[in-house]
Amino acid sequence: MPAHHPVIPAELPRQNVLTWLRSRYFATRRDAAVTIVFAAFVAWILWSLIGWALLDATFAPNAGEVCREDLHGGACWSVVSTRWRIVLFGLYPFEEQWRSAIACIVMVIVAVLSCLPWFWSAKRLPLLWTAGFAIFYVLMRGGFFGLAEVTEQNWGGLSLTIFIFAAVSLLGMPLAIVFALLRRSSLPWIARTMALVIDVIRSLPLLSIMFTFAIVLPFVLPEGLTGDKLYRVIVGYALFFACYQAEIIRGGMQALPAGQEEAAKALGLGYWHRIGYIILPQAFRNALPPTINQFVITFKETSLVTIIGFFDVMASGRAASGTADWNFAVVEMYVFVGLIFFVFVFSLSRYGAYLERRLGVGRR
Amino acid sequence: MTEPAIRIASMHKYYGSFHALKDINLEIAKGEKVVICGPSGSGKSTLIRCINRLEEHHSGVIEVNGTPLDDNVDNIDEIRREAGMVFQNFNLFPHMTVLENCTLAPVLARKIDRGAAEETAMRYLARVKIPEQAHKYPGELSGGQQQRVAIARALCMAPEIMLFDEPTSALDPEMISEVLDVMVGLAEEGMTMVCVTHEMGFARQVADRVIFMAEGQIIEQAPPDQFFDNPQNERTRTFLSQIVGH
Repeated sequence: MPAHHPVIPAELPRQNVLTWLRSRYFATRRDAAVTIVFAAFVAWILWSLIGWALLDATFAPNAGEVCREDLHGGACWSVVSTRWRIVLFGLYPFEEQWRSAIACIVMVIVAVLSCLPWFWSAKRLPLLWTAGFAIFYVLMRGGFFGLAEVTEQNWGGLSLTIFIFAAVSLLGMPLAIVFALLRRSSLPWIARTMALVIDVIRSLPLLSIMFTFAIVLPFVLPEGLTGDKLYRVIVGYALFFACYQAEIIRGGMQALPAGQEEAAKALGLGYWHRIGYIILPQAFRNALPPTINQFVITFKETSLVTIIGFFDVMASGRAASGTADWNFAVVEMYVFVGLIFFVFVFSLSRYGAYLERRLGVGRR
Repeated sequence: MTEPAIRIASMHKYYGSFHALKDINLEIAKGEKVVICGPSGSGKSTLIRCINRLEEHHSGVIEVNGTPLDDNVDNIDEIRREAGMVFQNFNLFPHMTVLENCTLAPVLARKIDRGAAEETAMRYLARVKIPEQAHKYPGELSGGQQQRVAIARALCMAPEIMLFDEPTSALDPEMISEVLDVMVGLAEEGMTMVCVTHEMGFARQVADRVIFMAEGQIIEQAPPDQFFDNPQNERTRTFLSQIVGH
């Protein structure tokens, strides 16, 4: 019964739901009034939401005309059931979209697997991700094994968002570690130069960095070094990610007592052993909450690639409801895209909470 | 005459403009047990931290087993492997179990295979009387137990010299003797030991020589009987009366 309410006062051991409600929400006349007003308000909002989203809604595909003439004003999920493929796959050719779907699933599986402690070794994790990216690339790009070639310019939707996020994280994290180590170098000119680079990049808007890498870089770099626009943007974004993450890691390192590194030195452990086994594992543990935060922000800001002409899940959603047939169902489409973002970001933050509990073991 | 375990000659150390160690000359023979004492700020911790390069000296010579301590990183790592150190605050690695604490450096720095390293570690953990704690994390142990693990961890590297930097100063009184017992046992087996400590009973029992430091200088050194019963220097007498007198 009230067992799932952890804050029951100790002096009331055998109270039931009614007395609990009464002591919590109806203790005085004013309490009761406030409770009733707010409960009514919440109920009203919930009821209209349920009415809009479920009771009065249209779910069937290709029911745009029905939606238009619908007098109840319920949600038109028809836009989703009709045009979901655009959201998930963007401009990817229709007959080939199964490839994009498999590539997407492979990437998600790789991400989930790399969250399992069994894969946390210097051999398994890189192997897993290299394999994941290879499969993704072969499937998406094609041109091998009789698969039709689909250039990066036509990648889009959720697959593209996941690809950018994974690539930025994987490129950015090692870079962040290198930056953080250079930042605390014992040679002052290295430490100061790195600090300056980090500060400069952090002071620029992500948008301008993406733009620079996508549009300006080809004029500056020699031919052959430029690569596809998509990869240039990923490199720029990874650099941006690395500068923020480097400061997060540095914060985690600074929280360590000096005795930790001294003890490692006194045991005769060399620099890389000290960093790899003593400093970084503890720094990452200290820096876990802001690191998860950084991943969440990075996932959501992949939407910015739309500015240089890529159709990520957000832009694809807008495109899907942007035609004359469906332009009345913009809200429904945004809700759907929002739901996709929510699923990913919420799993990420739950995983972060799991990690915090797990890593808390043995430290008091 | 065999070469000394540690040889320090005309060594100076500065913190900025502060002259922390002034013209230190000290030879410690193999198997010798030396206790260093002195008031706080006298440079005794700085001195033993210079021996394994946790602090850098600015002039003079430090040699450990004949290896000169200079900017050569290989020499520094070699000396650190030969000289184990025990700290005031234990400095165990909190993210590793007791056993992992003890096997990490042998596996990584001595390239001993894991099985053999674990066997050695268990032997030393048995010797410091806590083999049953091998799979716990340091945070689950008492201060005295943590310090004994720290000693076992240093011993697992099979060092020829042990440096103790106030190993009992952070312990609750009832835990001091369990750590000192381990140190006495080590001394009886012939380990070369340099201990910064105020445990004068321990000094009397095991030390071959007691060194008194003040203001960055070695003021007096003598065998324990002579040092405690007949100190020559006025400052030594004042110091001894302060730590024994209460």
